Amino acid sequence: MNWGEMIKVALEGIWVNKLRSALTILGIIIGVMAVIIVITIGQGGRDEIMGELESMGSNLFAVYISQVEDGDYERYQMDEEDCRIIKESVEGVKAIVPVAYTSASAQTKRKKESCSLTATDGEYAQIRNVQIAQGRFFNTSDNASTRRVVVINQKLADDLFGVGSDVLDQKIMLAGNPVMVIGVCKSATGIFSGGDRPEAYIPISLYYTMYESNGAYELDGTAVSKDRVDEVAQQVMRIMQLRHGDKDKKVYQFFNMEQEMQSANKVTGILTLIIGAIAGISLLVGGIGVMNIMLVSVTERTREIGIRIAIGACRQDIMRQFLIESTVLSLLGGLIGIILGMISAALICAAIKIPFSISLPTVLIASLFSIAVGIFFGLYPANRAAKLDPIDALRYE
Amino acid sequence: MITIKQLYKTYDTGVVRVEALKNVDLEVPEGQFLAIMGPSGSGKSTLMNILGCLDKPSTGDYILDGVDVKSQDEKQLSKVRNQKIGFVFQTFNLLPRLDCVRNVALPMLYAGISSTYSKEHSLAALDKVGLLDHARHRPNELSGGQRQRVAIARALVNDPRIILADEPTGNLDTRSGIEVMALFEELHQQGRTIVLVTHEPEIANHAQKIIHFRDGRLVKSEQVANPVRAAQQLAELDEAGEVAE
Repeated sequence: MNWGEMIKVALEGIWVNKLRSALTILGIIIGVMAVIIVITIGQGGRDEIMGELESMGSNLFAVYISQVEDGDYERYQMDEEDCRIIKESVEGVKAIVPVAYTSASAQTKRKKESCSLTATDGEYAQIRNVQIAQGRFFNTSDNASTRRVVVINQKLADDLFGVGSDVLDQKIMLAGNPVMVIGVCKSATGIFSGGDRPEAYIPISLYYTMYESNGAYELDGTAVSKDRVDEVAQQVMRIMQLRHGDKDKKVYQFFNMEQEMQSANKVTGILTLIIGAIAGISLLVGGIGVMNIMLVSVTERTREIGIRIAIGACRQDIMRQFLIESTVLSLLGGLIGIILGMISAALICAAIKIPFSISLPTVLIASLFSIAVGIFFGLYPANRAAKLDPIDALRYE
Repeated sequence: MITIKQLYKTYDTGVVRVEALKNVDLEVPEGQFLAIMGPSGSGKSTLMNILGCLDKPSTGDYILDGVDVKSQDEKQLSKVRNQKIGFVFQTFNLLPRLDCVRNVALPMLYAGISSTYSKEHSLAALDKVGLLDHARHRPNELSGGQRQRVAIARALVNDPRIILADEPTGNLDTRSGIEVMALFEELHQQGRTIVLVTHEPEIANHAQKIIHFRDGRLVKSEQVANPVRAAQQLAELDEAGEVAE
């Protein structure tokens, strides 16, 4: 019997028991759907994370104080002088600035808000890719002359002055100190920004006077190229260890974007794999459903099998007939699952605002996998059908 | 055509040993119309299964058309069933889901013949048994006699040289039974070998030769001097009907 005829027979068999077939393939549909959703969203999430990390600049690195056991923080704090020496001695550094974080209150005549405050030097804007909407970011000379200026983000500007107000050259009180707004930057978006929060940036020299400090906990910098960022970050850390007498090499840590991207990639990959595997279990359950119904089908059609053997079907023909039926059944489920999975994934991606893309390998693998499930779980019932004794089968009522 | 020598068939269930056939010798020349009679349990169905290559003898030889069946593997035997033998069963054994043409075409599909050609050929076979206008009907839409004629069309479609019929009229009324016998007579006249199992003497009398089985042994073999003719029987049946009216 040729393949076309066999597939036709299989489809007819599936069609005759519409409800039963539908319930059987439901398991496969749900399994494939779950796998597709997980993989598609996992991929989307990964693209999103990678895109964002990339936008932060893949040349980015930071050296920061991680733990101070002797309690002598001042000794380990870093400043512009450290940066100057680093620039002189480490050849791969493109830019480097000290960065201090704190939170402060920001006040105008009409309103008071709390915001996170970043104190740094002028090059920070390039290093961290700060997007200026109005005015300008402060520069190195602003820092050198300790000008009382501030750059605020759009969120803080809107909160303090109201949406659409002209904020440039306005005075605000920052932690009780009068400063002038010289620029507004775009609010950060994306999963790492932790939402749209009010932020302010001041020259670090101003921070020193405001907070009676003489250094920062962190240095942010960029390397000249992506390939050198790891090496540069390590060198910078080593210089800090030497300059600040970190003999045990425990105080400073460093991080670089390239490494971060790789580990993020790995983490999302593993997560996708784990959730995908769990989703795969439902596919397994679906497969067992197919096997179950094929066994029922073989029993129901015992007499048919006997007849077919009597008129000249060989065992291989019988085997093939049932294998094709289980494969067609499960492939059908797989295809419906792929379509529903894609639709669901697209909807979910749209809802949580991550990029959606149909990956051809995923579709292909899901199809092949459902074929494999059909063959694997059809094998036993089909073999059972093929091994029936035709005389008993013909007598079966 | 068929040669059976010292054939034994023993079923061993582990608990009991049943000797279904004991020392059977049989020779069916090509073109013979043979009837096998005997009470149930006499071994005639076992013999039919062996003749139809659905079962193998325990000991002894079965030579079919010059080929020793013992030496054939499963695949070769399925080919023999497909090409050389046409089965007709008491319970018709049509596939309920398929319409008549597709039922008839099945043996051709297993022979690897294209579906277009096999359909044409099946329609021709249905025409031969007078059921061309029922080609698109399913078996459950037909009467018993019609179903058996479809089954005969199916048995004929690969043009086998032997027809094995196991109580083909057992489930039919008298008239349908005679009509079916008329078809067998016609097939016999075309030169086919026919082996027919029955326990009705009037059916057996259509054959040229009758053999009797009892307890697994071939106990009696008789030639039929004047085989009954279905046409004649049908005429008598019509006459009787008219008289009754």
